[in-house]
Amino acid sequence: MGLRGYSMPDEIYFLCLLHNIGAISSEKSLSVDEISQWTVMDPQKVKENLEKLISTQYIQKTYRDGSERYHVTINGIRKVLSMYS
Amino acid sequence: MKRGHTEMKVCMLTWEFPPRIVGGIARHCYGLTRALVKLGHEIHVVTLEFPGASDFEDVEGVKVHRVKIELGHPNFITWTLIFNHFMEKKAAALSYLIDFDIIHVHDWLTTPSGITSKNFLNKPMVCTVHSTEVGRVQHLSSPDSYMIDGLEWWMLYESKSVIICSNFMMKEVVSHFHLPPEKVSIIPNAIDTHEYAFNVDREAVRKRYGVMPHEKLVVFIGRLVPQKGVEYLINAVPLIVRNHGGTKFLIAGDGWSRSHLESMAAATGYGNKIRFLGFISDSERIELLKSADVLVIPSIYEPFGIVALEGMAAGVPVVASNVGGLSEIIEHDRTGMLAYSENSESIAWCVNKVLSDQGYANWIIENAKKRVNEVYSWESVARKVSEVYEKTCER
Repeated sequence: MGLRGYSMPDEIYFLCLLHNIGAISSEKSLSVDEISQWTVMDPQKVKENLEKLISTQYIQKTYRDGSERYHVTINGIRKVLSMYS
Repeated sequence: MKRGHTEMKVCMLTWEFPPRIVGGIARHCYGLTRALVKLGHEIHVVTLEFPGASDFEDVEGVKVHRVKIELGHPNFITWTLIFNHFMEKKAAALSYLIDFDIIHVHDWLTTPSGITSKNFLNKPMVCTVHSTEVGRVQHLSSPDSYMIDGLEWWMLYESKSVIICSNFMMKEVVSHFHLPPEKVSIIPNAIDTHEYAFNVDREAVRKRYGVMPHEKLVVFIGRLVPQKGVEYLINAVPLIVRNHGGTKFLIAGDGWSRSHLESMAAATGYGNKIRFLGFISDSERIELLKSADVLVIPSIYEPFGIVALEGMAAGVPVVASNVGGLSEIIEHDRTGMLAYSENSESIAWCVNKVLSDQGYANWIIENAKKRVNEVYSWESVARKVSEVYEKTCER
């Protein structure tokens, strides 16, 4: 996976996608199914990437109406933006 | 009129403004806009939302308007075009209340909204080029890079005046984009030296990062991306530790290369001496600089290098690659040390020299502080930018 000719770990590319589709706060958090639709990625692969990114604190998991939702943290936003500047 | 300048109403478009801090653009805009307000200008910054930041804020007279990005898209170029649309809407809404004299954009990221605003308002556009895509990636190869390169050309073509931060960038931009040199003004970056004028408990700060009083501290601060050349510092670690066994290395900042660099650090066999801190706040950044023995800037591409000024103001000897703007900021062997680019041995040699001779280090520190105070103040930079605004509106 890569951006602008750079190759990068899958989960970081995935983090960029999640940021770009707008999941940058708890109000804008998305479910696994929604992320899967936006990124055209298999739900199992989505879950694997989310788990990796939660462990590095770039993604936060929240609960809304009994379902799990995910959004990019401030550190995650900075990580993504470092690629675009 | 105030202090010989015509007061102007400026619409400044930037994708980052504190607390949304990615690289140098946020700090540049923060320093410049506050200094422009002090000269009597009315500055409206249109920028992007950030968690915890309000939609509107008055920052020491600077009117900051933060735009919500109401739509997303996985592709990042498309994403930038979408957020530019929301910036255009904000600039247009403001124009009904404020008769702007000039539009000022920073880098390609806000170019589409700048050009639209320029044409909608029929006002001249000024751009500041902080870096170029061809410089950042070193070689245009991907479709995204070609797109960004094209946007940069378009920004320069549509701008009536272009501000560039160093002679190095002047050469790069004029040759790569075939830009008429008469359109360009070289105005350096600056820093607010007042922010560094306080005493810090060095021992306490170092202890916080696990550095003991008898140990030396070498720091890097910046984004962890290839252009910053952090791997050359990591490869220099064994050569430094060989001479100064009690040395710790702190790498502050984040970026997509981080995991690769962490693996590299572990592979040197000195992983226990190298610590990655992630993103640190501005106050932590200044405290860390004031507590370090050496600041290393191993960049392979650096249009300016504002972190060098920060180190010089903080009173830490700076060892930097002899590239780009760094070569212009630092006078080798007087206000810092310049190492050969992409050369770990050269970096290690410079660091070892500074760590071995405290008298030499102190001499460099004094020379560097004097240089920063004389040349790199925001007041001086704002005056030069004011002159560009005036000339742009006169033409």
